[in-house]
Amino acid sequence: MTRIACFFVPMFPLAARLRSEPDLLHEALAIIDGNAQNAHVIAATRRARAKGIRPGMSLAQARALLPKLIARARDAECERTAQEALFEVAETFSPRVEDAGEGIVYVDVTGMERHFRIDDSPEVALAKAAIAAAEKMGFPARVGIAASKLAARVAAELPQTPTIVAAGKESEFLAPLPLARLTPELDAATTLRRWGIDSIGELAGLPESEVASRLGELGRELHHAARGIDPRPLIPRPLPPDFREGMELEWPLVAMEPFLFIASAALDRLSQRMEIQGFACKRLELTLMLEPDGFYARAIDLPAPTRDVKTMLTLLRLDLEKNPPGAPVVGFTLVAHPDRPRRAQLTLFGPTALSPEKLATTIARLVSLLGDDRVGMALPVDGHLPERYDLAEYAPPPPPQTRVKPQQSRGLLAVRVFRPPVSVEVITRQSDGETQIASINGEGDLSGAVRMSSGPWRVESGWWSDAPAAREYWDVELERGGIYRVYQAAPSSDWFIDARYD
Amino acid sequence: MAAPAPRLDWQFQLLDLDPRPPAPILVPPPPPVEPGESEAMRQLRASLGTSVAAKIRSGAELLRRAANSGSTSAIPTTLHAVDALLGGGLQRGKLVELVSRRASGRFSIVLSTLVAATTMGEAAALIDLGDHFDPQLAAENGVDLRRLLWVRPRTVKEAVMSAEMITATGFQLVIVDVGLHPIRGRRAPDAAWVRLARTAESQGTAMLVSSPYPLTGTASEAVLKASFTRARWIGRGKAPRLLDGIDMNLTLEKHRHIKPGAHATQMFESAEK
Repeated sequence: MTRIACFFVPMFPLAARLRSEPDLLHEALAIIDGNAQNAHVIAATRRARAKGIRPGMSLAQARALLPKLIARARDAECERTAQEALFEVAETFSPRVEDAGEGIVYVDVTGMERHFRIDDSPEVALAKAAIAAAEKMGFPARVGIAASKLAARVAAELPQTPTIVAAGKESEFLAPLPLARLTPELDAATTLRRWGIDSIGELAGLPESEVASRLGELGRELHHAARGIDPRPLIPRPLPPDFREGMELEWPLVAMEPFLFIASAALDRLSQRMEIQGFACKRLELTLMLEPDGFYARAIDLPAPTRDVKTMLTLLRLDLEKNPPGAPVVGFTLVAHPDRPRRAQLTLFGPTALSPEKLATTIARLVSLLGDDRVGMALPVDGHLPERYDLAEYAPPPPPQTRVKPQQSRGLLAVRVFRPPVSVEVITRQSDGETQIASINGEGDLSGAVRMSSGPWRVESGWWSDAPAAREYWDVELERGGIYRVYQAAPSSDWFIDARYD
Repeated sequence: MAAPAPRLDWQFQLLDLDPRPPAPILVPPPPPVEPGESEAMRQLRASLGTSVAAKIRSGAELLRRAANSGSTSAIPTTLHAVDALLGGGLQRGKLVELVSRRASGRFSIVLSTLVAATTMGEAAALIDLGDHFDPQLAAENGVDLRRLLWVRPRTVKEAVMSAEMITATGFQLVIVDVGLHPIRGRRAPDAAWVRLARTAESQGTAMLVSSPYPLTGTASEAVLKASFTRARWIGRGKAPRLLDGIDMNLTLEKHRHIKPGAHATQMFESAEK
């Protein structure tokens, strides 16, 4: 028999808001729907309810009772992302999940209880695990398990959680409940009330064919629901391809720090959600809602998939500092495009392999500190000019399976390249019919009489292009010490030092 | 002709050479015990090559060997003079400083160390404050560029921060080359180098700091100083002159376990020769 678990988050608009602003949990907070005179309370925290704030009150009435009441408007973005997060929590239990909206998610848990044989009833253990998983994501969820969606939802709505309705006992469980629990349409509800039907059990006791002949197909469905029969299957939906968190702000933000404070919490929630699914963020998209209207979108490609909030926040800060939105911010949405984190097989006898996750985080942090053009793997480039190089993403191959002996160094003299080359003045002299460099006049150590020089060696590159290079290279040793590589560029005849032998 | 006397049994009774009667056994001897090797260990040994399997007797020994060979062994520079002065190369978990104001050859030692580490399959990082690294020359020398992370900070502070991040990731060799005099950016406080040395120690990372003057203070395990050298040239008179190489004098200025003051000379050949 099919078993359905229902995740139910009471006062969902409030729960969604508290998930984004957890500091308000112990404050007297009310969620308001509607504008101006129509503003009314739809949910309130325990502290506000203790002072008499009730759903349905107008904001003016609530303020009269509690002047220090914190009022927050209902935030559609918050609720949407909270619903997605709840859906993702449910999906960790079963792939067959139906999103019913407004803090309600159905999960097909048929057979899942076998994974939860702990001490008491397996289904109770399953429901407790579901509640714990939802609480970890910031939802005060209730869970009910039954054979039909209606029975599971009614069970989840009860204050004692979890509630398990035994298989085949759905009609008994539903019988004493008022008819309103069935949420029948208005016409049908009026008709049933006229018949004197007040409870679900009384409806279930009527002959099905008689109800169907008088109320049509709707009556048949209501009768099935009252008997705990749910013919409609779950309608699972695939997970969205990205993770989204956002918020509408109460007042416009003009400074960077307050925004980053809020964005940090949103990134934290994104990171948690990606961790549940085993993903890491490869690309981060930020959309800012500006005042009075308009949007500002930025996209940040991370150097490697990571879930490190600090890294993502630093990259976000650097990007916004470089490209400020230019108007006050009244809301934002962060979209994380997921990717699988890098994985590697560690070796037992060879050199220690780097953890791909840690390496990705380190690279991302280095990039955020130094810039993406200053971190990576150097690549040699075909050509003739000595200063050529290229940079690629650092992705080392796996280490050898066993330790290997190092290659004996050839003991070659290295050069320190100067990027860019340093412009100098050079005085030449003729010796035995050959041109020799007599002295160099540059800044700091790059100055003095020349003890020995050799050259020239001609290098020509890119003669077919718009920027050809023709140079004459010399090796020069100064009297005061230091061996340099000097070249004269054509056609300007300017002299440069582009490297030091070291 | 004398004949040997016949042996008489009573002649030996006084010497009491007869074997003693066996002592009474109170507890029977335990049955022979097979070598304490689990099935898993046998399977693991069977899956390994014979040369490796013969060396392993237990998991504890495996760990001990790994600890001995992994954390305390050195990454050689494969330069005879440097390895001799440092007792085998750059010790893992220790910070070694290489100082030279004017002498040439400091960057050549850096490059040789990178060749050795990357060809061993170790992950290496070069923090190149002066932006002096030449990938072409490094590849020609034998550096496996795929295993080398090249980082180019702009200040000493960024260099130390980068080094700490990279060391904490688990790189086996981290080289901080602060470039030529004058060093870019303000000097890092001594505490930063101490912290870096402790990170290297905790991660078992061999760390080399190459600088024109001493920076690391008490944080370093050893300090090698290179003294002023002149270049060797070939070709006289009208023959074309060519840079042959340099000779570098090295002095062990400080070492926590080796008596300092030792000297050695290291030769480097010009790649153009």
